[in-house]
Amino acid sequence: MYSYTDFDRAYVRERVAQFRAQVERRLDGSLSEEEFRPLRLMNGLYLQLHAYMLRVAIPYGTLSSRQMRQLAMIAERWDKGYGHFTTRQNIQFNWPTLRDVPDILEALADVGMHAIQTSGNTVRNVTADHFAGASADEVADPRPYAELLRQWSTDHPEFQFLPRKFKIGVTGAPNDRAVIRSHDIGLELRRDDAGALGFRVYVGGGLGRTPMVAQELAAFIPERDLLPYVEAILSVYNLLGRRDNKYKARLKIAVHEHGIATIRALVDEAFAERRAQFSGDDHDLLENIKAQFARPELARTDCAPYWKARRADPVFRAWADTNLAAHADPDHAIVTISLKPHGATPGDATADQMRVMADLAQRYGHDELRISHEQNVIVPHVHRADLPAVHDALKAAGLATANVGLVSDIIACPGMDYCSLATARSIPVAQQIATRFDALKLEHEIGSLKIKISGCINACGHHHVGHIGILGLDRAGVENYQITLGGDGTEDTVIGKRAGPGFSADEIVPAVERLVLSYLDLRDSPDETFLQAFRRLGEAPFKDALYPEQARGRRDAA
Amino acid sequence: MRHETPTAGPVAARVAALNARYRNHAAIAVLRRAISDPEVGRVALVSSFGAESVVLLHMISVIDRATPVLFIDTQMLFAETLAYQTEVAASLGLSDVRTIRARPEALAAHDPDRLLHKTDTDACCALRKTEPLERALAPFDAWITGRKRFQGQTRSRLDFFENEGDQRIKVNPLAHWRPDDVQEYMVNNRLPRHPLVARGYPSIGCAPCTSRVAPGEDPRAGRWRGQDKDECGIHFVDGKMVRGPLPPTPSATDRNEEHQMNVIVTDTGFAADDLSGAFQPADTPGATALDLGPEADVTALAGRLDGVEIIRIAFPAFSDGRGFTLARRLRMMGYGGRLRAAGHVIADQYAMARRTGFDEVEISADLARRQPWEQWQARADWRAHDYQARLRGAG
Repeated sequence: MYSYTDFDRAYVRERVAQFRAQVERRLDGSLSEEEFRPLRLMNGLYLQLHAYMLRVAIPYGTLSSRQMRQLAMIAERWDKGYGHFTTRQNIQFNWPTLRDVPDILEALADVGMHAIQTSGNTVRNVTADHFAGASADEVADPRPYAELLRQWSTDHPEFQFLPRKFKIGVTGAPNDRAVIRSHDIGLELRRDDAGALGFRVYVGGGLGRTPMVAQELAAFIPERDLLPYVEAILSVYNLLGRRDNKYKARLKIAVHEHGIATIRALVDEAFAERRAQFSGDDHDLLENIKAQFARPELARTDCAPYWKARRADPVFRAWADTNLAAHADPDHAIVTISLKPHGATPGDATADQMRVMADLAQRYGHDELRISHEQNVIVPHVHRADLPAVHDALKAAGLATANVGLVSDIIACPGMDYCSLATARSIPVAQQIATRFDALKLEHEIGSLKIKISGCINACGHHHVGHIGILGLDRAGVENYQITLGGDGTEDTVIGKRAGPGFSADEIVPAVERLVLSYLDLRDSPDETFLQAFRRLGEAPFKDALYPEQARGRRDAA
Repeated sequence: MRHETPTAGPVAARVAALNARYRNHAAIAVLRRAISDPEVGRVALVSSFGAESVVLLHMISVIDRATPVLFIDTQMLFAETLAYQTEVAASLGLSDVRTIRARPEALAAHDPDRLLHKTDTDACCALRKTEPLERALAPFDAWITGRKRFQGQTRSRLDFFENEGDQRIKVNPLAHWRPDDVQEYMVNNRLPRHPLVARGYPSIGCAPCTSRVAPGEDPRAGRWRGQDKDECGIHFVDGKMVRGPLPPTPSATDRNEEHQMNVIVTDTGFAADDLSGAFQPADTPGATALDLGPEADVTALAGRLDGVEIIRIAFPAFSDGRGFTLARRLRMMGYGGRLRAAGHVIADQYAMARRTGFDEVEISADLARRQPWEQWQARADWRAHDYQARLRGAG
């Protein structure tokens, strides 16, 4: 794991001091509210429905047990005892007071963390595959590049006042778990024919009210050119991006309006200019960072306790089947801790739970934790022999829900319960769906299914890429939920299509139930997932399940 | 003509008569008569519960505490205003305070994300203030406001009674009061103060569009700061609602009148502008001092930079960061002359300006007053803590 250099440490301290002064200058009137707003946003501080919300970055989703414990301390001392892990590898505290925020930032700086650029029209926290450095399918660990980009983008003097927010996602594996094609820049680490590392570069992705899948800008950019190439893209966007309409200001709109060929020509021109600006210090720094991300020394012990527990304990077996992923080392597993217990708020963790996860990582997981964009927590390197003990500890803390990748592993934005932009509630819908399928005891039979819920068209719940997406809107003061079908956030990114008229708050859960039960009838074998069945059969049978009245009407007419 | 109106005659004639009748009356007498004079009709006090509102509220509580008081809650007010409203209404025993809000369906339709004020302040005022008030005032023949002549150019000839579009009478009992009168009345009657006044807000509106006012500034300077807007649209000039599209943001080139007042910021301090008026459009042949807008294409200057001594790049808004990339590109093209950022650049951006290649920043006298040199000086050590210098090998 990366540990801060003296430079990093001094920087975050300086940043806290600056923000402390900015809060004072806001209170004494030197800064207008309008001027203060972007300054607080670039330090992660939002003004939400009820209070301020502080969004803390967990760069590329990686943190140590010490950092996790500090988050627990912050949740207890300055918040209501819990935090909310987000879809962009951040944690949000929903109840801090403005006066306390500089102290919270100071506490973050104590453990090498910050809230810098988690908001505002600037380059946001760079996200990466949450299985990075552990998964079996990886070309190379993407996190050193994400760390390099973090340093490069932090306080980049040209790009703090962009037309709109700017998101970068990196994956080091061909199986994209970082949804890179829904980012402004998506980077896929790969090797060229000579075996050299570099990136396939995608641009112009984004969800929100105009969902777009990123397009390929370059098939291969050598790793040493990463910074000048990304900087070239940003410089083109800074001048070309629209500033007349915030809903048309993202890079995806510029790519759409000008065409990928024009963007490529402009970027190539800027790249030629920018490349000369980097003299090689960035490569030295990258090599230094890479060394810090070396995989920990893995234990070589017998896996027998794991197999024994599997045979003896069906609850353990069910959890192992859903919540473990293949590690590059067959004696180890990647453990996903579900933050989606049935009926709870997706992504929330209490301070006590954070400490339990920190303890487990320290004892069994080489002191490393990850936050996934699916709002779960991952312990990436656990020896199989330790899994029964890990499972026991999780059970005791209410963290052993065996539903990763299943129907109740729902991504949901905070919705109208917390967010001032939301037009409908999303958390209660997620809770009801989870509770309903838990009561039906069908969750494991249904298998892999991604439901994603957004409470407004800004799509923070990624509903566009849910196999089943739910979008909550406000129709003349009444909540109305639209369903999209067939979305996919993997390397074959697909934007889901709207199924038809929306459902009321009372109708949405039964509608989802009809949809899922019809899939069980329609699939050709238990191995065929919902998404596969949908692709094979098309939308018609699923729409019939959603709108039985219309289906009956059509049958009667025929 | 509305039914049950206890008056006869057109509004204009009644207004003229009322102004003549009460010409020499004191504020409270005008108010007392306004509440009871049949010539006025059914009357309500419209109050923002702002910095000076408590004066009229107190007068009403003395004369008739059942007088309807309309409080417009735009749902964008400061929390302090809401708390103050409750406190004042209770302490003065006002018995008919009506909170007026925009219709939820109108908010859902026009401002679902509460960001309308960012893009169209006038539309926001219309949605949250003007229209709800229009509806609330429908049953009344007259309304009482706290407007005063000293409050600005548009109010300098204010009378006690005004004809509002031949529909209603507007009563301004405090029209002739001076600022000291307001203070004196509040002190003498021991009235509770709006908590934000002590924190530098002499005039208080909605939270997003009200900022603090510096000593010496017009008390209403904090309202819709940075916009050419003085009135929310509730008030009328010559019988017409004051409203209209915002004027285009001024760029560096069309601010010549104010020019001599601008301040130049460098690493060593504030200075007067040595080049005021010298700048010419970038396509002027032979010009040595060029003005560039944020949309400028700097590649068009390739090969023409020899002999250019200074380039000034406009920042129409501090949130528009195009100028930073333009500066960097000019430096990459080899331009070695002076580079100036001009317009709305704030102290917090000084290090960014210096790091992207600017030598100096030109700001208005107003901004220089609000953000004095010490605040810029805090960022004058722009070479420190610079990730770019580390990554590019320049550090």
